[in-house]
Amino acid sequence: MTPPEPAELDVAEPRPSMWRNLSPIWLVPLVALLVSLGVAWKSYADRGVLIEITFENASGITPDDTTVRYRDVVIGKVEDVGFADDLSRVSVWARIDKEIAPYLDEDATFWVVRPEVSARGVSGLSTVLSGVYIEGAWDQTTGKARTRFEGADGPPLAHPGRAGRRITLRTEDGRMVSEGAPVLFRGIEVGRLERPRLTVSGDSIVVDAFIEAPHDRRINSATRFWDSSGFSVSIGASGLSLDVDSIASLVAGGIEFDTVFKGGRPVSSGAVFDIYPDEATARRTAFARSRSGGVEVAVAFDESVAGLTNGAAVKLGGVTVGEVGSVNAVIENESDEAEVRLVVKLLLDPALMGLPQGAGEDEVFDFLEQAVTNGMRARLASSGLFSSELFVELVTLEDADPAEFQRDAEPFPLLPSAPSDLPDFTATAEGALERISNLPIEELISQAVDTLASIEALVSDENIRQAPQAAVALLQDTRALVSDPETQALPAELRAAVADLRSIMAELERGQAVANLTAALEQGSTITANLAATSEELPALVDEFRALAAKANALEAEELIRAANQLLSSADALIGTDDARALPGAMVEALDEVRATLASLREGELVDNANAAMASARSAAEAVSAATEDLPSLTARLERLLAQSEALLADYGDNSTFNTETLSVLREVKAAAQAVSLLARKIERNPNSLVFGK
Amino acid sequence: MENTENAQRFLTASRAGMIGCRMCGAVNPGDARVCTRCSSAIAPPDPASLQAVWAWLTAGLIAYVPANVYPMLRTTTLGHSSDSTLIGGIVELFAHGAFGVGFIVFFASIFIPIAKFVAIGYLAISVRRPSTLDSHSRLVLFEIVEFIGRWSMIDVFVVAILTALVQLDFAASISPGIAAVSFALSVAFTMLAAQSFDPRLIWAANSRSAE
Repeated sequence: MTPPEPAELDVAEPRPSMWRNLSPIWLVPLVALLVSLGVAWKSYADRGVLIEITFENASGITPDDTTVRYRDVVIGKVEDVGFADDLSRVSVWARIDKEIAPYLDEDATFWVVRPEVSARGVSGLSTVLSGVYIEGAWDQTTGKARTRFEGADGPPLAHPGRAGRRITLRTEDGRMVSEGAPVLFRGIEVGRLERPRLTVSGDSIVVDAFIEAPHDRRINSATRFWDSSGFSVSIGASGLSLDVDSIASLVAGGIEFDTVFKGGRPVSSGAVFDIYPDEATARRTAFARSRSGGVEVAVAFDESVAGLTNGAAVKLGGVTVGEVGSVNAVIENESDEAEVRLVVKLLLDPALMGLPQGAGEDEVFDFLEQAVTNGMRARLASSGLFSSELFVELVTLEDADPAEFQRDAEPFPLLPSAPSDLPDFTATAEGALERISNLPIEELISQAVDTLASIEALVSDENIRQAPQAAVALLQDTRALVSDPETQALPAELRAAVADLRSIMAELERGQAVANLTAALEQGSTITANLAATSEELPALVDEFRALAAKANALEAEELIRAANQLLSSADALIGTDDARALPGAMVEALDEVRATLASLREGELVDNANAAMASARSAAEAVSAATEDLPSLTARLERLLAQSEALLADYGDNSTFNTETLSVLREVKAAAQAVSLLARKIERNPNSLVFGK
Repeated sequence: MENTENAQRFLTASRAGMIGCRMCGAVNPGDARVCTRCSSAIAPPDPASLQAVWAWLTAGLIAYVPANVYPMLRTTTLGHSSDSTLIGGIVELFAHGAFGVGFIVFFASIFIPIAKFVAIGYLAISVRRPSTLDSHSRLVLFEIVEFIGRWSMIDVFVVAILTALVQLDFAASISPGIAAVSFALSVAFTMLAAQSFDPRLIWAANSRSAE
């Protein structure tokens, strides 16, 4: 028997474990997977928070491009732009960095930064190239995070979280405040104004202002704000004052403040202050209101208090010791008929009156009582020459009517008043105006007008206007005559004629002219005899000459002048005529003819001609002798002409009456013209001179 | 079936008791552990090495995902910055009508990497299972994959060159994105995967199936 063999086991090799065979190389894809997943998770986790900002419009905002920045650091990006449900606004969805998101609580504001040029400078210039971006501002503390925000129109007045104080300013004139205008302290910008808004009732305008730390500590109850925009010119008792602030405040307006007295109480955020129109007003309002120790007294004035305003000074010996608190009309029923009195409340500062420190009402009243007994009165005084403003003066008058300080008067102790010695400026001015209106200005003007009219008539007279034209015409005619080439050629022609004559004479000499000459001489002797007879008549001629001169002397000057005038005009006419101009031409022609005659004479038979010439010469001599007999009458005629000419020439000479008179007339006309022009210039330069005479 | 036919056609080194060196290709005796020619270590074809192929391939695939999801380039022009992914860039190129460049980029960064993944995966599977492709074709495929591997880095080169050249501060600047690194890693991993694949396994599987 064989021992039973154990059944053959079907032993299989163990399957190699999948895990045991695993190569460490699998770590590589594992790491790659982990890294990839890590990157994916990180980018998902860092994806940021999607917030929605609504704007009025989305100008310049583009999805995936426009960034969201905080303090100019990119903290997010716009992902989408759409509309709000009712299309009223534009919604911008932006993804903001995860770290920043918790800070986006309700104080976060967003606005779109665009290039802006304003009076305060240029901002956002970098956005010209890169496009707009959305800037955000919020404080440094995390709060209840929000994802929906209302976009603002522009950067907030004060960035949230900035240290400072927000106060409210109140004014009645909205023109002096504008959004973003600076708030200045001694010219240094320490804050900004927000957008002004009307109160519900509409009677005033309030504007929030943010004063940056540490300047906000300067704000207390003693602080006064005033408008410093533009420039102000004021004429007051202290003279002319001109205030100009920065250009920015000139354009955009500005509010300045100062603490006008010490000891103001601190104010909480949101305190309300008034804006005063100018610094002086602001300071004045602060004077007595602030002084708890101010002592109130009243003064009743009988005269007009026009020009006296609240805050006007109360002066004692030129020193301000208080101010006017109020001006009221009070009806007093002393008798049956009601009387209106003007009661001015004065606020007096004991410290300024020289009373000891800590002096109260009683001390002031004691002092006033004493002073009034000594003649102290309150009266109105003008604060300046040009100003209609009044102030109250406490003066001691020697001749004051007796009065007393009514200490128990209601509501305030009453200080007696005295009539003011204000110069009655109004009356003076009226008198001056009256005197001016009484001046005979109208007569003066009418006379002046008449004078001018006659001058104008004279000047516009046709004859006067034409006189220069006639003179010019005469001159032109003369010039034409002189410049005529024919006139100029005249001397040459004459010279030629003389030369011809000389040659004829020479030829005559060469010819047998001696015999003829002898005959001629004989004839000449007879002529001489005749002449001798004539010469006997010469003394008579001289006598006639003399008589003529006497006659000429007896002639009237006026007639002479008139004759001269006529002569001149006829001369003018003569010269002006074409005939006169043609005269030289005619003369030349005549000379030409003479020359031609002489030439033909020369060419012809010399001797025969000479004889004939001699014969004719003889007959000529005879004619001459005959003529000689007529000579006396001719001479007489010549004498008359000469005398006339001489007289005329004499009158026309340098020192003649006519000449002198003409010259003096001309001179006078000239002087008159100068005077007129001088007058015209003077009136033009200074029209007042017409009224005042100088 | 095909394989059986092929198996009868040729003799493999292992069947002849020999072993090939993967470095220099010299045929050594079957028990040699150091190449007689180039002195590099010789390991017999180990099917376990396929694990390395699969591991690298997986890593390459994993890295290829962020390479496509994340931006490749970040271009900043005058303050505007824009990201572009691989696909986005290709679409943009086509949209601008640059079909040639677009096609090159598409070919280099989408088609080739995916083709490589598919090819390596197919080769690794075919070692274990009967394949429809004969051994020679698979060897050619493997050689193509190995050759083309280094050219897949062309995208990364472009990004590197652009980043270095276009640094004009505010006017224009280009910076690489996460995808550039991912893509480079992906290419590197697939190259390693191809490197890990032992082509001798093709023949070994062939002989095994022949037995």
